[in-house]
Amino acid sequence: MEPIHTHISRQFNAELEDIRTRVLQMGGLVEEQIGRAISALVQGDTTMADAVATEDYKVNRMEVNIDEECSQIIARRQPAAGDLRLVVAVIKTITDLERIGDEAEKIARMATRLATEERPKNNYMEIQALGNHVRLMVHDALDAFARLDIEAAIRIAREDERVDSEYEGVMRQMITYMMEDPRTISRTLNVVWAARALERIGDHACNICEYIIYLVKGKDVRHTSLEQIEKEILGRS
Amino acid sequence: MSNLPASNNVTSKLQVRDLNFYYGKFHALKNIQLDVASHRVTAFIGPSGCGKSTLLRAFNRMYELYPGQHATGEIILDGENILSPRTDLFRLRARVGMVFQKPTPFPMSIYENIAFGVRLYEKLGKSAMDERVESALQQAALWGEVKDKLRQSGMSLSGGQQQRLCIARAIAVSPEVVLLDEPASALDPISTLKIEELIYELKKNYTLVIVTHNMQQAARVSDYTAFMYLGELVEFGNTNQIFTNPSKKQTEDYITGRYG
Amino acid sequence: MPSSTDRKAMDWRYFRRRAVNIVNLSGSVFATLFGLIWLFWILWTTFSAGIAAFDMSLFQQDTPAPGSEGGLANAIIGSLIMVGLATVIGTPIGILAGTYLAEYGKKTRVAGFIRFINDILLSAPSIIIGLFVYEIVVLQVGHFSALAGALALAVIMLPVIIRTTEEMLRLVPNPLREAALALGAPRWKMISLVAYRAAMSGILTGILLSVARIAGETAPLLFTALNNQFWSTDLTQPMANLPVVIFQFAMSPYESWHALAWAGSLLITLSVLALSILARVFLRKARMEH
Repeated sequence: MEPIHTHISRQFNAELEDIRTRVLQMGGLVEEQIGRAISALVQGDTTMADAVATEDYKVNRMEVNIDEECSQIIARRQPAAGDLRLVVAVIKTITDLERIGDEAEKIARMATRLATEERPKNNYMEIQALGNHVRLMVHDALDAFARLDIEAAIRIAREDERVDSEYEGVMRQMITYMMEDPRTISRTLNVVWAARALERIGDHACNICEYIIYLVKGKDVRHTSLEQIEKEILGRS
Repeated sequence: MSNLPASNNVTSKLQVRDLNFYYGKFHALKNIQLDVASHRVTAFIGPSGCGKSTLLRAFNRMYELYPGQHATGEIILDGENILSPRTDLFRLRARVGMVFQKPTPFPMSIYENIAFGVRLYEKLGKSAMDERVESALQQAALWGEVKDKLRQSGMSLSGGQQQRLCIARAIAVSPEVVLLDEPASALDPISTLKIEELIYELKKNYTLVIVTHNMQQAARVSDYTAFMYLGELVEFGNTNQIFTNPSKKQTEDYITGRYG
Repeated sequence: MPSSTDRKAMDWRYFRRRAVNIVNLSGSVFATLFGLIWLFWILWTTFSAGIAAFDMSLFQQDTPAPGSEGGLANAIIGSLIMVGLATVIGTPIGILAGTYLAEYGKKTRVAGFIRFINDILLSAPSIIIGLFVYEIVVLQVGHFSALAGALALAVIMLPVIIRTTEEMLRLVPNPLREAALALGAPRWKMISLVAYRAAMSGILTGILLSVARIAGETAPLLFTALNNQFWSTDLTQPMANLPVVIFQFAMSPYESWHALAWAGSLLITLSVLALSILARVFLRKARMEH
């Protein structure tokens, strides 16, 4: 895509640049929320968990503001082609970022509940691993968004398959725990919810990658298999 | 690229093949290949001087009025090359009507404005002519506004009404193709919207080709869009595709306002 | 803040600008007044002297012998006939020629040449035209005639009509022509049904102005229609007309003839005024249509 600074209307330029920057800022905040939610859970830190829950309003507020700015750009500039796709991709991306924020908040709530329970021997290692994985995905997705890097976007989308199998592994493990010792069921269920939230975050990161592909290539690749995407976008078979 | 973008139930009405156009020595259109779909709206967009009006005016050989302008290649209207010297110009212009940028009502009554063209081709009795005038004005969505003042001068109408009168005049001779050369650029936004609405209605009965400087207008009214630049057809495709995901960088730059 | 010396310089410049403005303004007002004074003087003299002899007998009686009572009836009808005939001859030719220049000739060499000749004709002294018609008509036929007079007047009006017709047709916006041709109209239909109609009031204005121009022409008539003491509507014979009657009567030593000459002058002045006003009305209409 064309660097944005060649627009005839500098004002329009600035506005497009601004929504891009703000999406990345929002992404940064969301990433931080995920990280702190995972730490809170793993370390049993209720103060941090509370902080995550209260910070979520910031994410929501950012979503509303960016949405507003996008509506204004559409109303006043009638963007077309690449500009239009940027605005559409931004609107969709921030929805997913906001959901990621909600999932982080959910993890934080689980962290608060788990803090009162007895800690397992493995110190929630499985959550730590899965959490790092999806956090990295979100980080890379935002990076790809900033650089309009579709190769990276496809790679990250592929990563989601691994997150899913990792999640299934965690689930199997948890079910085993619950069958071994039914007294742990209520505690383990909280861990299951947290793992479920992490898996959802991976899905949202994957969605963001699809928007990047749409933004750059103008192709809607939702509901398309990864193989298909790679074939169409990168021309690989 | 010359053929219509894949789409169902569309036949081409006009086929432009290897069209070159010269203003004296100036090469204004270069090897244009383009199909105009029947009963659809095709828009030509591009910066001033890109040749879009020139191309439009080749469809009814309007350029013949001016010495030193000539075209080579073919423009095929229903299988017949209209650039051939054997083409009957008057019949061609009956088949291919035109509406201009500035409203051009003739200095006569509203009724006579429409009857003028009809009389060139047909001898109608009073009641048949009345009917024809009414039907043309109906189609141009003007009947309701002027039915009580058909004897008033066409020049007494507002700009938007004048332009619809010109459209009525053009369609009164039952053309197959209607060429619109920036039909709304001299009008206020409401009149513009009325013209656009009318264009949408007219494609049921006619094939329309519109030249416009207003990209949003092209996006709103057309089914196919051709982007021209420096006498060349850069990109031609479905309007939806051109405005969301053009395949050429030049097109993208132009429609997003990066041209310049 | 500007320093006080700056302020002084600014004040000085402002003062100078105002002074220059006042000098120029008063100069141009004075020049305008100077021109207008003569005009009103002429009008006043014509009016005051002409009104004295202005009564119904002016229109009822022919030009008198010296010392007797009379009017200008034969001269008035003579002028009307010759101006009318000149208009009938000059208008169609002028309009057609103007049409050629505006619609067909345009920028061709022939058209340019015609335009050049027409401009010369436009500024040719009317006495030369009189002399010309005298040479080719009066001398050939052997005597003066109203027809020759009308011909001379027609030649004088011709360039004016050609010029205005061309200009007025050129004012017709080109898209209007294209619109007619785009409907498939042949060129002659486009011109006769659309372009003429659009330029009609302008062309009429041109005709009226040219009529006004020939209404007072004396020189060409001296050589062609000459004069006639009696009532005559025979086109092949000399015919009385206002300008020549005024010329002769004003030169005469008779007081009653002087009075009739002034009355005739007033009559011509009034008709020219009427024509000019009419032309203005048409022209305004023409402007409103474009």
